Amino acid sequence: MNYITLKSPPVREERLGTGVAFGGTAGELRCAQREGCINRASRAFSQTQGCQFTLSLGIINSLRNAVIIMHGPIGCGSCSIGAVGASQSFKRMRDPNAEGLIWLNTNLNEADVIAGGENKLKEAIRYADKEFRPETICVPISCVPSLIGDDVDAVVAELQAETAAVLIPIHCAGFKTKAMATAYDDVYHGVLRHLVKKPNLREDQRTVSDDLSDLRRKYRDSRTVNLLNVGSMSRQDEAELERLLNAIGLNARWLPCYSSAEDFRYALLSALNVSICGTHDDYFIEHLKVLYGIPYVIDTMPIGRKNTARWLLKIAEHFDLQDRAQQLIDAESRELDEALAQFRPYLKDKRVFLGGGEIRVVATAEILQDLGMKVIGFKGHHYDRFAEPLFESLEDVDDVLFNVATQQPFEQINLVNRLKPDLYIGHTGGGNLSAKQGLPLLPLFGPTYNYMGYSGVFEVARRIRRILANGQFNKKIARHCPLPYKASWYEQDPFHYIKEA
Amino acid sequence: MNKFVDRPRFSCALGGALFTLRALARAIPIIHASAGCGYNLYTTGNAGAGYLGGGYCGGTGWSSSNVVEREIVFGGTDRLSEQIRSTLELIDGDLFVVVTGCMVEMIGDDISAVLDEFAGEEVPIVAVSTPSFKGNSYDGYDMLLGGLFSDYVRQGVEKRADVVNLLGLVPGQDAFYKGNLGEIKRLLERLGLRVNTFFGEGETLENLKNSSEASLNIVLSDVYGVKAADVFEKTHGTPYISLPLPVGAAQTSQFLLEAADALRLSREAAERVVADEEARYYDYIERIADIYNDVDLQRYAVVVGDANYAPAISRFVADELGWLPRLTVVTDELDGEETRRIEKRFTGWESDAYPLVKFDTDTSSIQRYFQDAWEPSGNERYYDSFSPLFLIGSVFERDLAAKLGVPLLTVSFPVTNRIVLNQSYAGYKGGLGLASDLLSTLIAGR
Repeated sequence: MNYITLKSPPVREERLGTGVAFGGTAGELRCAQREGCINRASRAFSQTQGCQFTLSLGIINSLRNAVIIMHGPIGCGSCSIGAVGASQSFKRMRDPNAEGLIWLNTNLNEADVIAGGENKLKEAIRYADKEFRPETICVPISCVPSLIGDDVDAVVAELQAETAAVLIPIHCAGFKTKAMATAYDDVYHGVLRHLVKKPNLREDQRTVSDDLSDLRRKYRDSRTVNLLNVGSMSRQDEAELERLLNAIGLNARWLPCYSSAEDFRYALLSALNVSICGTHDDYFIEHLKVLYGIPYVIDTMPIGRKNTARWLLKIAEHFDLQDRAQQLIDAESRELDEALAQFRPYLKDKRVFLGGGEIRVVATAEILQDLGMKVIGFKGHHYDRFAEPLFESLEDVDDVLFNVATQQPFEQINLVNRLKPDLYIGHTGGGNLSAKQGLPLLPLFGPTYNYMGYSGVFEVARRIRRILANGQFNKKIARHCPLPYKASWYEQDPFHYIKEA
Repeated sequence: MNKFVDRPRFSCALGGALFTLRALARAIPIIHASAGCGYNLYTTGNAGAGYLGGGYCGGTGWSSSNVVEREIVFGGTDRLSEQIRSTLELIDGDLFVVVTGCMVEMIGDDISAVLDEFAGEEVPIVAVSTPSFKGNSYDGYDMLLGGLFSDYVRQGVEKRADVVNLLGLVPGQDAFYKGNLGEIKRLLERLGLRVNTFFGEGETLENLKNSSEASLNIVLSDVYGVKAADVFEKTHGTPYISLPLPVGAAQTSQFLLEAADALRLSREAAERVVADEEARYYDYIERIADIYNDVDLQRYAVVVGDANYAPAISRFVADELGWLPRLTVVTDELDGEETRRIEKRFTGWESDAYPLVKFDTDTSSIQRYFQDAWEPSGNERYYDSFSPLFLIGSVFERDLAAKLGVPLLTVSFPVTNRIVLNQSYAGYKGGLGLASDLLSTLIAGR
């Protein structure tokens, strides 16, 4: 795979055969995926969902010393308003002096739709460079400038000579795809083309180097892996994964979220790239391999003890550290068992429906099975081969229902109404509807909570126990606030609106 | 005039339209746009409006045609037709409103031809053009209401002298719209009027549908709702007056007397209401006469806000709290005429404590105006500093407040650091609420 000479990456429907519309069992879905026939994307009824543009912001809003220029009409990227607090506080966990989230919008109007928006973009870039002196300026390009044919790459090439900041165009027009996770490829594409380059170590040497310190540095790098974090992770997740790697003698560098420009350069010195979520980073690490010769591991997501062990062993294998890893895994697992015992009586046989990113829902199901809970339904934003390894940690889920739908809460509401779970574990957005079914709800992810590694299993168990202990809030909502769907919808096949074409 | 914006405090026309519909009971939007528009705008409005939420059918629940490249090439009308049909099948609502995003406007989908297919439906379906490139979320409110006034509100209805409509508070952009409308409605009802606010407590689509009975539209703004009121006047013959959003006793009393005059209501009766309200108001304010004077709660103030809040709050802190507002920045995109109307609101204050008034949409500009508002320090040994200072603005002012080490109250959009329920900053109740919120911040360490 090498798309790096193209202006923008291919959409995932084409590159991975990603499907965003399916209703059936997990077994049927996996079979269909293997046969390459899950590429359905349309519904006769649809609800709003994330797009490439907004999902791109999930990464670029986290970059340190960066300013973002939303190139589009005034509404595009306004959702960043919801991220001002989190972006700043999480950046400051890496650097106490980090700036908050700064963005401009090029505010394209009717005249620009006709005449083009390139001049406004130039003004915005010059202003951002001068006013904020950022290291990088990211320019996500929305539907309107894409359709009218603004040549943002040409603008960037022209202005790069006069700006101090590195300019990164990100081609993420929402109308290009329904597989919103293409956003990650768009961001990495821009990052790979404009930001990633070998660090100039000679220039960075502050003291005269000697052979011994060079050797030390090289040895350290040979034991350092890049961990590719995702916006839905917490600092606690990172600390836990880092702890596990340190325990087998490896160091971690974190990319891309909350990184600054130089982190992308030093990352090229690391010995291995490690994916945490296959939905996010296959495009990036494959290109890093092709372009810079860095090997990678992309397999499972370290949520749940089996997944965590598998993830760790895959990394250890690369460094021939399996024995150390296995010892650690055994010790961690024993300790976790003791810690979980207190929750098991409360959680046993409770029935759970999970909705969200397909990697994450399948991974999280492992924790539930570990706790003796029953997984009775999945809903994944999309489906492709990267979810496959996750199934290996689960037992007896072939007949469990699997709905592939990016958001589309109407299908989920129908399913939950049929399946009557005791708990819903769901993606952010849509709480206003889920709550009206009166169920207790655990967020599938939360950037201030720990879900990953061994401590994550304990934290999830502890939170489910707490959330199940009092569900009054949603019960009351359900009693007083009706759902908007007609009674006939609950009689209808939940996948009625999925179309073949 | 039109340029890039540094951290805009509004979204687009579609966003304004969606949150206006969010506030309208049992009105169901059908978004004809790219897939991400609705969710993006929901996230903006939810967080920015103190967690207003998706409500009955909103957020990820919003019906949306999710057009992709295929429709951009071949046209999106078939997809829209299918989406309207399925939405009617699925969703229980009393009014369905097609609102449009940029893509379908650029390819020129003929929406009215699609609506003709649904002419026989029992529920009303209307369409309003709301592309982002034609305006921001404040404009979207006007576009949406203008569309409903012409296509949904009953025509040829007899006017009733005692009925008025309230316009000018943009749901979502004003995080406190519901509390504010409730308070103004309560006061106008004390004058003997029946009041439609469309978005207020207990109101239904009937209030909107029958709003053509009104003999007057009161626009609580110098900017927002004026265009919609124009449409209303042309369509239904109801004139309008534009009065500023009143915050606190002084402005509210003035508002009530002007409204009474405009409706030719008894001046004496209105004065009785005003006197009664002011007495109740000062019964509360009297409580803080002690603490205000015991510890000196007077402050300099910098006010950053939209065209409704910026003048009203500046005047409130000057004329009632006895504070000294030194800088007010109005953060909307305004034309020359609108700017002049806002500037006029900085005249006739009892305190004479006028701030420097700036019009600027850019968040990084705010701090630059400080040196115009106050003589900067030249490292003199004795320097009369710009303190004690209080910043009243939006969450975008948080960094500035932290840098200056001054307290901040967020009132104007976006208000992501508060949960807003029934609070109000309008009217007498709103003035008490604002005084309480401001002064509580100052004594929080006690």
